[in-house]
Amino acid sequence: MKRTLNINIGNSIIHIEEDAYELLTAYLVEVKQHFGKSADDFEIVSDIENRIAEMFAEMLEAQQKQVIELADVHVVIELMGSVKDFESGAEEEADTADHTAAYALFGGGKIYRDTDDAMIAGVCSGLSYYLKMDVSIIRVIAVLSVLLGGSGLIAYLILWVSIPKARTRSEKMSMRGETVNLQGFKRNFEEELTNLKDNFRTATDEMRPIVKRSGSFIAEFIEVLGVFMQGAGKTIFKFIAIVIIVVGSLMLVGALISVAALLGLWDSGASGVFPLNIVDKSYFTTFVIAALVVVTVPLLALILSSITVAFNSKTVNRTFSYAMLLIWLCGLSVGIFYVAKITNEFREEAEFVQNIPVRTLPLYKLNLDKSRFFSKEDSLRYQLNSAEYIGRVIQNDDRGPMNMPRNVSVRIEKSEGNAASLTQAYSAKGINFETALYHAKNIRYDFKQRDSVLMFSPELHLMKNASWRDQEIELVLKVPVGARLKIDRNLDRYIQGFSLWNCGDDHSRDEVFEGVMTVDGLKCKYDLDVNE
Amino acid sequence: MIAENTQTQMRKGILEYCVLLIISRGEIYASDIIAELKSAKLLVVEGTLYPLLTRLKNNGLLSYNWVESTSGPPRKYYMLTPDGTSMLSQLDGTWQELSFAISKSKNRTKS
Repeated sequence: MKRTLNINIGNSIIHIEEDAYELLTAYLVEVKQHFGKSADDFEIVSDIENRIAEMFAEMLEAQQKQVIELADVHVVIELMGSVKDFESGAEEEADTADHTAAYALFGGGKIYRDTDDAMIAGVCSGLSYYLKMDVSIIRVIAVLSVLLGGSGLIAYLILWVSIPKARTRSEKMSMRGETVNLQGFKRNFEEELTNLKDNFRTATDEMRPIVKRSGSFIAEFIEVLGVFMQGAGKTIFKFIAIVIIVVGSLMLVGALISVAALLGLWDSGASGVFPLNIVDKSYFTTFVIAALVVVTVPLLALILSSITVAFNSKTVNRTFSYAMLLIWLCGLSVGIFYVAKITNEFREEAEFVQNIPVRTLPLYKLNLDKSRFFSKEDSLRYQLNSAEYIGRVIQNDDRGPMNMPRNVSVRIEKSEGNAASLTQAYSAKGINFETALYHAKNIRYDFKQRDSVLMFSPELHLMKNASWRDQEIELVLKVPVGARLKIDRNLDRYIQGFSLWNCGDDHSRDEVFEGVMTVDGLKCKYDLDVNE
Repeated sequence: MIAENTQTQMRKGILEYCVLLIISRGEIYASDIIAELKSAKLLVVEGTLYPLLTRLKNNGLLSYNWVESTSGPPRKYYMLTPDGTSMLSQLDGTWQELSFAISKSKNRTKS
């Protein structure tokens, strides 16, 4: 016993078994989807349904039975043909069916690349048909957008990949917005014949209608550019393409080498240098690989498309392009994830303060200590043995782009009592207070006092493998009123709230600033002398 | 693959010509067209005929009447329009040229 259903197909009532019904429904849905792309879908589908109903009626009569079974539906589908048969047996529908994605992009219209009238890949001339604008105008806009920041280049490459080429006659016709039918085909042939004749004329003749239409400066410009493009343009594009291939390949190799260095294939120490030490060591590798993908995939795409231009060969198929796009998006999302994670690690700030006693003296000399800071590891590496080594290694004063942002600041204030003191405030950031404090505690800073001489190091140092978490140190030197100070003018950039150059003396080019602590704070000695 | 493509292209044009020829003999029902094409071994599956008929109708080459049927719902009977008739005579001419071209080509290779 089987369950049967009553269906109304082609205005006939048919009894049909459940499994047969399911197969039939699946088939009709497929048929509807196939013909849904053409305008006459309703009529074609209803014709097919009517015919199926008729076949069913014939079968029921011939076999003297009441119900349509699964085998009957199989026979009907075989006679009618599957959607695959329709495609190969093929009207125009078959050609357009492959490219639904491209015209879904622009909400129903059809856009193709016109390779018959192409400078590079026919994107501009394809767009000109789609937007119903003159192709020269679009080309000028495209060239300008490439020159202004290069955004046009990326847009062009994306369009190149996503818009299919107009291959068949019917595709070319729908690209131009003509109806695809017999009359259309005929007109198309005639146009091609006249075009063939036109091609023998010179480029200037072709541009003449545009000049007539607008007659303005812009049209003249377009004319010149158009002639230029048709003549020298292709050679220049090929030259540019070859330059891009060479430069792009070098950049690609460079990117790979720097990634190898960053990932520590050899002891480059690069991961400890400033902008890179923001990234925590625990996910440094993942982050670097994501960054590599984000950078190299567009580079690779650029190189491959340049090869296509330079050697007129198709090097990239669509599947490969989509795969690359997918990989790039993965890299981008991983990168963004870690950037967000890193940003999050700057959320909380912690500070801890340390007091250092300073001997109370009538005169202080404040110097910048340029001797290089050596960690234990550095000393081993440079074979500096404290027993044999006498003297100092002077650090290069250059603050290159790879240095950490300024992280040492000094304030000079008057002390409340008669004693001098130095306060060191270490601060750092972290995902929570605890880690922020941990980072702050791991700051190393060199401050030395030799008699009256106070030596300030120009920068603070992080522990090996520590990440940059906006570590800063603020030094507050408090000296009693009346104390004299001689300050190395190189310290000026570290001193907050006071300028060592803001002093009216004639010897302002001297290396040393002389000042006195007054009730109103630090004052230039020369100014005080003049006032008296 | 290339041979297959050429075959499909040839079939397409000839299928259209044959359909017009069959209809030109008088009003005819779609199932009868299918039966004729099948006996001529030109049509593999019925489904491809309906889009073709619809297209020819939309191009003004065909028209149809609904005719009551003794068994089941009314049926579409197709006939040629004047446009279709003139198109058919053009195609006749083209066919003459084509068959001339083919016989000429074949004979030359033989001699």
